Amino acid sequence: MDNTIMIGLSRQISLRRSMDVVANNIANANTAGFKVESVLLESAPAPVAQQVDGPSELQFVNMWGMGRDFSQGQLEYSGRPLDLAIDGDGFFATQMNGQEQYTRDGRFRLDSLGQLVTGNGSAVLSAGGRQPIILDPSADITIQDGGSVMQNGEEIARIGVFEIANMSQLSKSGDGQYVLDTSAPDAIEPQAMLNPAIQQGYVEASNVQSIREMTHMMSVMRSYQSVAKFINQVEDLNKRSIERLGRVS
Amino acid sequence: MRSLTTAASGMQAQQLNVEVISNNLANMNTTGFKRQRAEFQDLLYQNVQQMGVNSSDTGTIVPTGAQVGLGVDTGSIYRITEQGGLAATDNPYDLAIAGNGFFQVQLPSGDTGYTRAGAFAVSGTGQIVTADGYTVSPGITVPQNARDITISEQGQVSATVDGSTAATIVGQLELATFFNEAGLEAVGGNMYLETAASGAATTGTGGSPGFGDIRQGFVETSNVNAVTEITALIAAQRAYEMNARVITASDEMLAASSNLR
Repeated sequence: MDNTIMIGLSRQISLRRSMDVVANNIANANTAGFKVESVLLESAPAPVAQQVDGPSELQFVNMWGMGRDFSQGQLEYSGRPLDLAIDGDGFFATQMNGQEQYTRDGRFRLDSLGQLVTGNGSAVLSAGGRQPIILDPSADITIQDGGSVMQNGEEIARIGVFEIANMSQLSKSGDGQYVLDTSAPDAIEPQAMLNPAIQQGYVEASNVQSIREMTHMMSVMRSYQSVAKFINQVEDLNKRSIERLGRVS
Repeated sequence: MRSLTTAASGMQAQQLNVEVISNNLANMNTTGFKRQRAEFQDLLYQNVQQMGVNSSDTGTIVPTGAQVGLGVDTGSIYRITEQGGLAATDNPYDLAIAGNGFFQVQLPSGDTGYTRAGAFAVSGTGQIVTADGYTVSPGITVPQNARDITISEQGQVSATVDGSTAATIVGQLELATFFNEAGLEAVGGNMYLETAASGAATTGTGGSPGFGDIRQGFVETSNVNAVTEITALIAAQRAYEMNARVITASDEMLAASSNLR
């Protein structure tokens, strides 16, 4: 009997997590470069006291990991010369305090030294040599599809777009930035793409589909309520069996 | 329930977004106004299951960790310093900058203010001043008997006085540019102040490399685009409503739990 309540509880815990993730998706519906996430669940067999043939009949729900949907977000026109969007695969590389990070949010700006930086002040790195990019603020800035930064008709630098082989090794560090786990045994150093597609004057919107998130939210809420009801019924059953068995005739 | 605070951060962010949009719309007809854009970033992530840790004694590792995001945060409110339109006024003291640069203004506090709103006037003592009466630096005095005043694209101020046919040069306006114009601090009254983020001002005459031209008889209109602002307003309002729905749903889940007994 207790198992029934425990299975219900494991489902409720995972549903709460799902709700947290849906809430984060909806809260970031207007965050440029944000990629939608979902909870991946697995069944966890209940340990049995006695070895029996075949798998255990009891299965708990366990949170297994996070799925991230890296599909392309819509490109929205902004007209600002330092708004860059990647059309296709790849990430911009940034550097803060010597640590390399990756981002899809290309709303860059110039700092007080003329260096190309992201919103949180990390330097955007070039394709070759991974160096910060320093521009002349007084001249017009043209960025070609391949990432070449042109000023006064000359190529100043090439903005790097890096291909990450295994995107499941990325973890989010907030501010739209991803950190690559380089300690994994199968980690591959990201390589600058030869032919990236950068769109100047565009911002990549988040790929959150509000209708999907809202329906998901509703199903999470209703499942939670039905599990609660089911726990109630089990409780009721317990109560009645105690009453009936304990009755002195 | 993290989703309650996560959705609350979403509502706060959208509220701020609407505030920025409404300020843009309110200043649609403000001379030299530059529109702003609220930029959002995802907030911290909480590691529920660390990625890359061993999942068994044989050394297999967890391929994807589980990180739960805690909402959204305002990264910055960014000023878009795109050129506004030039509107002809035929007033000789209305100046617009076509291109980069700011007029320098001597503020009463002693600081130098920077502005793109060039709707200037002449004070009782003949000085070129802003609408608030602050001197446009370097201080230029127009002779009292001036019949006609001409300001060249380079910022040279010439006056033709009564009884003379040739114009005499009475001063030279200077423009200032910054590495990072978006880092200037707006103090109201169309005025900006230099900050550590903007970098130090570089001064020069109009039309020289990196500086815009000065146009006499024009004012720069705001660069607010009504259509863009209204569509952003619709998106912000809908996002706000969706976050409110998440709070309602989380509340109902909590109610289901508390009704167990």
